[in-house]
Parts: sequence; C-alpha cells; structure tokens
Amino acid sequence: MSIVSNTLKPGVFEHHLVGRGKGGPGKRSMLSGLMLTPMVDMFSLLVIFLLQAFSTSPELLVMVKGVTLPSASTGKEIKDAPVLAVAPAGIFLDQKDMGSAEEVLKDPTLLLKKLGELRKLWLKGNPGEAFPGEITLQAHREIPSTLISQLMAILPSAHYGSIQLAVISGG
Amino acid sequence: MAGAGPMMPSSGGRRSLDAEINLVPFIDLLSVCICFLLMTAVWIQLSTVQVKQSHGTEAGPAGNYELDLRFGGPTSVEMALKKQGKTVKKASFQSAEFNQLMASLDTQLTAWLSPISAPNAASPVTAAMVSPKAGVTYGNLVSAMDVLRKHQIVNLGVVPIGEGK
Repeated sequence: MSIVSNTLKPGVFEHHLVGRGKGGPGKRSMLSGLMLTPMVDMFSLLVIFLLQAFSTSPELLVMVKGVTLPSASTGKEIKDAPVLAVAPAGIFLDQKDMGSAEEVLKDPTLLLKKLGELRKLWLKGNPGEAFPGEITLQAHREIPSTLISQLMAILPSAHYGSIQLAVISGG
Repeated sequence: MAGAGPMMPSSGGRRSLDAEINLVPFIDLLSVCICFLLMTAVWIQLSTVQVKQSHGTEAGPAGNYELDLRFGGPTSVEMALKKQGKTVKKASFQSAEFNQLMASLDTQLTAWLSPISAPNAASPVTAAMVSPKAGVTYGNLVSAMDVLRKHQIVNLGVVPIGEGK
C-alpha cells in the first residue's frame, strides 16, 4: 500500500532545479536532490525520542543565579518543600533574600521567623496532619562545607529536620 | 512537488483503499513538533539526597553499626565503623585527587561491609555521620554522601562544624 509518495517526478520538479544549475559539459551540477524517505524517518525518530523525554511534571526547583549544583548518582525525586538556596551572593528562602551567609549565621532570627511562617502556613493548609519538616537545600558546589553544616544545624530548631540536598542526577 | 491527491477510483466504481499523504504539511507538522519538543525539553535532571539531622530532632542513628566519616581536608578522610558506640574498624585515606579518594573510600566500604552484610538484606550500617572540614567544598561533601548511599547507608547526618575547625 502506498502511503507516502517520495518520488520526484522527472521533468516537473527535478528538471526545473537541474535546469537552473546547468553549466557546460563536464561541469558538476550545483544542485542535489533531497531524499525524502530518510528525512521523514529521521524526523519521526526525533519526535518519538523527544516525546519520550518530554516531562509534564511541574518544575519544583527554581534555580537561583550563581548556583551550580553538585552531582550525585543516588538522588531521589524532588519533593514539594520550601527551598533554601545558598548562593555566593547570599541566602534565599523561596527566592526571598535573607542576607549574606555571615549575617544569617550571626543572627538567624529572620530565617527562623520565615521558616516558622511557612510551617504555620503548611499546618493551616493540612489540619490534623503531622508536619514532615522537609526542606530543600540548594547550594552552590564550591560553597565551604562548614558553612552548609552550620546552616543545616540551624534548621532543626525551626522543625525542619529532613533536609533534601538538591543535586544533578548522575555523577 | 511531493504530494498527492486521492487515487483514481478503480474499475467498477469501487473506491481504492490506498491513500496518499501530502508530504509538505506532514513535514511541516513534524518540524513544528520537533521545535516545540526541543524548546520544552528538560535536559538536566535534578534530584535530592536526603539528610536527617540528628541534632535537635528525633531522627537518631539506627541499626547495629554506625559509620563516622571525617574529612581531614579536601584530599584526606578518616573513616570509623562503630558498633554500639565502640570503634570496630578504622581507616584513613589520602590522595592527590578527590575522585581517587572517593574510589578508595568506596573500595574500603565494600571490604568492610561484605562480611557483615546478609545476602538480600539492607546494609547493617544504617546511620552515618559526616564531619566536614575547612577547605572541603559542599560538592565534596555531597560526593562522599553519594558513596555512602551507594552502599545502602541512607540515614545520613552532617556534624555542624565551624569554618575555623
């Protein structure tokens, strides 16, 4: 059964193209034909591959400027939780500036207050449920680990004891 | 151009079952599909490594064995396997490159855990504490945790240590 017509009829289209490229005898034509069958095959394969890679899941992590995440091969799926970003420019809680790392470590009152507000909001939206205490930590890979460990030590006091370190899958 | 209309009816007035596709709109559609999918594709897959801070929460070390991983610097690490608080095995590694350091850690963990692991069971080491050090980056810390997680050590904690220590 003929589904796709992939032949160029001589004398109609090909002739028109070749006619323009006519040179003297022995000269090679500047025009070349396009093989439609492999092209359509390639397009179809590309569409199938891209459809398979297509994800409809919402983007739960908005990348903060200047943050390059470390990579890990054993990462798990990102859960919906507040995002604490540690960038060279400062610390951000859900995109809101909390000040520089030194300021936050010296006086974490603002960070703890905002985390408390987020917790209250969650408890209001999920009455009767236990607070999971999950928070996503999105930190630049070149940040000193001691700074991160000190920040992580602050979080349990605001009832955020389950910390998810954001990473790039595959290492 | 490459395209076609309906086939001529065959003799006897019966319509042919064969149909042809107009290639120009077909290729247009495929091209638009490819452009859309290429633009909306997410090439970097993000995931998370779970850490349970044992300081200040209920999440404490569980299981028979505990692991203590201490960074001495970006190129050195000490590892101790503990049972009920007592050190059973201890090892220290030093390497010029961080990747080699992690490979040594991986090999040592395999050597330690193989004799005490039951087949088809979870790792006997269910808790590990990682101590960072000044000069060690967050990326290095995550790499070390990744090695531990490869050995089914999933209950991880980070010891809070100041920059000067």
